[in-house]
Amino acid sequence: MTRVEIRGVKKSFNSLQALRGISLEVESGSFTALLGPTGAGKTTVLKCIAGVERPDEGEILFDGEVVNDVPPWRRNVALFFQTYALYPHMSVYDNIAYPLRERKVGREEIEARVRQVAERLRITHLLDRKDPATLSGGEMQRVALARTLVRNPRVFLLDEPISNLDAKLREEMRLEFKRIQRELKQTIIYATPDFVEAFSLAQKVAVIRDGEIVQYDTPSNLMRNPKNKFVATFIGSPTINMLRGRIRRLENKLFFLCGEIRLFLGDAGLYSSGIEDGAEVEIGFRPQSVAIEPSGEDNVLRARVMSSEFMGHETILTLDIGPSEIRAVVMGAARYSYGDEVRIGIGRGSLLLFDAERGEVIR
Amino acid sequence: MGNNYGRRRPKRVLKSLAVYVATIIAVVFFMFPIFWLIATAFKTRAQAFSTPPLFVWEPTFRNFIDIFLKRQTEIEAITGQEIELATGAEQFFYNSFIVTISSIVIATFIGTLAAYSFSRYRPLGTNTLMFFILSTRMLPAIVVAIPIYFFYRAVGLYNTYHGLIMLYVMFNLPFAVWMMKSFFDEIPRDIEQAALVDGSTPWRVFYKIAIPQVLVGLGATVGFLTINIWNEFLFALLLTERSTRTIPVMIAGTRGEVGINWGLIAAIETLYVLPALVLIFVLQRYLLRGMTFGTVRGAR
Repeated sequence: MTRVEIRGVKKSFNSLQALRGISLEVESGSFTALLGPTGAGKTTVLKCIAGVERPDEGEILFDGEVVNDVPPWRRNVALFFQTYALYPHMSVYDNIAYPLRERKVGREEIEARVRQVAERLRITHLLDRKDPATLSGGEMQRVALARTLVRNPRVFLLDEPISNLDAKLREEMRLEFKRIQRELKQTIIYATPDFVEAFSLAQKVAVIRDGEIVQYDTPSNLMRNPKNKFVATFIGSPTINMLRGRIRRLENKLFFLCGEIRLFLGDAGLYSSGIEDGAEVEIGFRPQSVAIEPSGEDNVLRARVMSSEFMGHETILTLDIGPSEIRAVVMGAARYSYGDEVRIGIGRGSLLLFDAERGEVIR
Repeated sequence: MGNNYGRRRPKRVLKSLAVYVATIIAVVFFMFPIFWLIATAFKTRAQAFSTPPLFVWEPTFRNFIDIFLKRQTEIEAITGQEIELATGAEQFFYNSFIVTISSIVIATFIGTLAAYSFSRYRPLGTNTLMFFILSTRMLPAIVVAIPIYFFYRAVGLYNTYHGLIMLYVMFNLPFAVWMMKSFFDEIPRDIEQAALVDGSTPWRVFYKIAIPQVLVGLGATVGFLTINIWNEFLFALLLTERSTRTIPVMIAGTRGEVGINWGLIAAIETLYVLPALVLIFVLQRYLLRGMTFGTVRGAR
């Protein structure tokens, strides 16, 4: 139930600059995901919020109050460590009970809460285990998660908490996190490299790269209006199709040229920034927006089917369109096989245009 | 398969037999001096000197009784006079225990605290300080022996327990700091950070989370210091007189009534090595309990 605000936080480890000025506002009781590849700085952001790392510059605020000088043991946040960080000399039960004992919670309440959280995470049978080092990876992760969730903190900070669980348990845990946020009105900040996880859980997602927040928005906005090529390629599965080519301007109409391919982009007036004739650009379109055997006449290309992967609900086609290969998703099981010729349509509305040099989106 | 198995089996037996024989030879080679020491302790003067050496004899407890009940004579180290000591060996055992245990407790305590702060807080100039600490061990101890002797006489530390203890703490602190630091360095930082987030103050993290994980290292450090201090001879010889003299110096000065009584010396030495042997045996079992590291998915 705490609003968390980060203002211009920078952090270096020796010569490595982990955070290059991060600013982020997380509303009280909201679910926010930090999404980014390994080494982007997600863990460092969480550790700065928890107080175990001290920012070199910038401020961290809880409910409008600067907490930079509040030591971690007084911040009352719960942090799940990506490395689990179980106490190796304590039993599983003692590991989970530790944060409650340190807060002088009564004996019976500790027992009740440990049992309850253990039940929800299906680790009741592990409570008596003396040596957590002998647990399997998934078991350790659940014990560490139990130690985090047993508390009632101001903020939950979860650093890749379900990466090592099997699919079914992962799904259950996702529901559990949502329940915690909805019923207990808890603020949750959740770091993950998996966009599906981030999108399915969070109301807002901060895409992080090289210690900077690239874009902070709702999942649907991130999908529709990525700020640059990095965001566009990092989210979405299969990965967005990218083609590199040149702009051709005919009267007031803009076209994209790449080898034999010519795509109509629309009227030049649609784009605020002036696009020069002959400018080098990249276009991106999601595999889901490629239409097979379209009815319209707009941007229709000939393609040859290179492979077809049936995924259960949909089929992913790899298509050769001349200058490169693209991917397309069709619902259900597709009847295409290697070498088939198909007509595809790439809708104008689904095209994203990027500056070829800087990778920024052109609107 | 069966054929292969049949052929390999005698080879394996032969191999393990060779290993056993080699082990037995090594054990006999290294243990024989200790065996002979203990054997001599149970021999009379004549038996101790007999040629060929006696392997079967009627053991005597005379030497052990004499150590404690008979007044010992001793050659004064500095002056070379032969003097008769006022007590039996119990006084010297007492001195050795007092000095060794005090020094170990103090050096381990200070060393552990210093090592933890060097490992975790890395104060300004940590590397320089760590090197400085090590450098105090680079000079052979004997180089400072004479200055320390005069210094101790001048300030009244000569022939005192605390004087000797201070010196031993000073000489052994570098080992304690370096050893304990390497053990603290092995603990993943995340574990301690987790405890901080879970509500523990740094002091509680130190003794509830960090110390339990370096018990193995603590045992090793104590064992190492014990060997160093219990056996120290040079400074004990220089800085003590009868009332604070430790066993190693006492043994060196022990003489019988007529010439050297080896049985007597062997008896003292037997009692002298006993505590060290027991301690090492206890700590060895402790060390075998193995490392506790590995509860973590891998460092960041």
